[in-house]
Amino acid sequence: MNVHPTILAMPVAIPLLFGALSLLMQGIRTPHRVRVQQILAGIAIGANLILALLLLSYTLSGGRMSFQMGLWPAPFGITVYIDGLSAIMLTTVGLLSALIFPFAVATMDAERARLGFYPMALFLLMGANGAFITGDLFNLYVFYEVLLMSSFVLLTLGGTPSQINGGIRYVVLNLMGSMMLLLAAGITYGTLGTLNMAHIAVRMGATPYLVQAVIAGLLLIAFGAKAAAFPVFFWLPSSYHTPHPAVTALFSGVLTKVGMYSLFRTFPLFFPWLLDEWQPLILTIAGLTMVIGVLGAFAQPTIRRLLSFHIISQIGYMFMGLGVAMAPTPYGVGFGLALAILFLVHNQIVKTALLLGGGAVELETGTGKLNELGGVVALRPFQAALFFLAAFSLAGFPPTSGFIGKLGLLEVTFSSGSWVIAAVSVFVSLLTTMSMIRLWQYVFWGKPHSKYRMPKKLATQGASMAMTVPVLILVVLSIAIGVMAQPALDAVQVAASQVIDRVGYVETVGPELTASDLQIPFGNYPADAVAAGR
Amino acid sequence: MTAIMLAVLVGVLFACGAYMILLRGQIKLVLGLGLITHAVNLALFGTGKLTRGAPPIVPHEQQVTAAMAGQFADPLPQALILTAIVISFGVTAFIVVLIYRRDALTGSDLAPGELATVINTSDPFAPFSSRMVMPEAADDYDILQFELDEVYDNPQAEGADE
Repeated sequence: MNVHPTILAMPVAIPLLFGALSLLMQGIRTPHRVRVQQILAGIAIGANLILALLLLSYTLSGGRMSFQMGLWPAPFGITVYIDGLSAIMLTTVGLLSALIFPFAVATMDAERARLGFYPMALFLLMGANGAFITGDLFNLYVFYEVLLMSSFVLLTLGGTPSQINGGIRYVVLNLMGSMMLLLAAGITYGTLGTLNMAHIAVRMGATPYLVQAVIAGLLLIAFGAKAAAFPVFFWLPSSYHTPHPAVTALFSGVLTKVGMYSLFRTFPLFFPWLLDEWQPLILTIAGLTMVIGVLGAFAQPTIRRLLSFHIISQIGYMFMGLGVAMAPTPYGVGFGLALAILFLVHNQIVKTALLLGGGAVELETGTGKLNELGGVVALRPFQAALFFLAAFSLAGFPPTSGFIGKLGLLEVTFSSGSWVIAAVSVFVSLLTTMSMIRLWQYVFWGKPHSKYRMPKKLATQGASMAMTVPVLILVVLSIAIGVMAQPALDAVQVAASQVIDRVGYVETVGPELTASDLQIPFGNYPADAVAAGR
Repeated sequence: MTAIMLAVLVGVLFACGAYMILLRGQIKLVLGLGLITHAVNLALFGTGKLTRGAPPIVPHEQQVTAAMAGQFADPLPQALILTAIVISFGVTAFIVVLIYRRDALTGSDLAPGELATVINTSDPFAPFSSRMVMPEAADDYDILQFELDEVYDNPQAEGADE
């Protein structure tokens, strides 16, 4: 299949165009404004999903593409680059937004819809897409800010006291993370003289170890803060439970996962050798993130607070995958990274399913407090069954995607000799199961309370469908990945092999980049051992 | 010498900013964030070469040669700073609005101790009612109240768009 590289502008252009159009609608005083915005958002999300699937089919057949904006040659212009990992992320985020959209349309109150939920959701999508396809470190920072600015608005939309409280923490801690990223970009430019990711990869090997360590450390802090990893996760549990449930589901599927994507992209590309050298550090972060996340979940009194601590806990597994990304395994180098990508996708699917299911319970009963809930299984047996399946997928039971992801990660960590973290992750899985059982016990078992208030808007057949069908699709997807694991594994292995192929990345972005740096040894790691320049 | 002074200044700004953020009170928070963003911008500024009175302009007839490198400062970091200033200004303005909003809602610029009661219990399986009383400030579900009361139970509120 042949696609023209200009198509790479579309994942950013489509949400931007439709977001801007529906933002213009904000100024038009008509009773149908929200309806028009919904239609615009629907078109944009649909087009984005189709585009993402097209790019996915192109990249998974082995293709890679890059495009220089304005046709400026590689290190000067802004590079857009796509490979398997970017396309997988584009597709997952596109799919999740397409599934959250009907949920939002059915459950969003008129006030929040009028204040501009739909344009902001489109800008969020634009920022995420931009971060997935950019090939320029400073541009990555800019797309992070686009993503964050729209998430700030979405988080505080409606302006209730708890939202404002959570919003302040969220904005401040994320601003700090962004500043670290900006500082990393600045130091990179000051020492390497370039911001193009391919060019950075070429030049990184020849810089002193100290500079590499500073840049890598700043990137680890910055992306770790976005991903909510161990010492810098505090913004997440203090804000995720406050907005509308559809917003929480969107955040859990997009925001933290963009941070993980950036780690998967930058570390194997810029300094793959540091993944080996810093493995103890990364695995320690992973273990602490897992344990603290899951233990925090036990203390939480409401559905969404509990689930947001589980987001943190699951991020730990992805860090574990990052730690063993370049570890030698019987299946070849990069198998760890492949499984980390698989786990990332699994987590996006399952976490969104849980938050949509839990959000539906909160909306239908009027409360999310565990001690005020109970007996939902009698009211909504089908939704309860879906929630149960998603919870067990999160805990890692077969035949779901969680089982495949965790089994694979365990296999890699054991075979690469880091058995301590493997043991911790098994223990955390057990705790996750306990925590999910606790949630289930409080929310679904027991007698229904008499004071549940079903809002009139949600009592219709259509609203009930819009709240159930997205969860159903996500759960089916999770089970499908678990049952037919081989195609999923093949896909992520293609993606991982493209990510660790540094030479291929530079060839795709601009072959002249290596030619202009004749003295610098450059190659794939560990096959061509770049250690000479270090 | 200029470079060392700049480095010291960046460090001092970072330190002051971090100290201000750790203090109680939201205005100090905003000022501290302002200092930290300034520190980062200044650090970015230092990544171009620091020269005086040498604009990065090559006369029309002259060719750009390798010998010219280092004679004048790199202008690119300044373009980066411009972007960063706009972004951090926007975010800071947003924080100020949020703080103003919280002040208007709660009549105080300090955050209520949301987590205090949650930490009090050690047994995760304990029934909540006996151990924990959630204060009003920790109510997450004011969002739902808002929806249920003002819009859902009031059909004409939905149609009235403006």
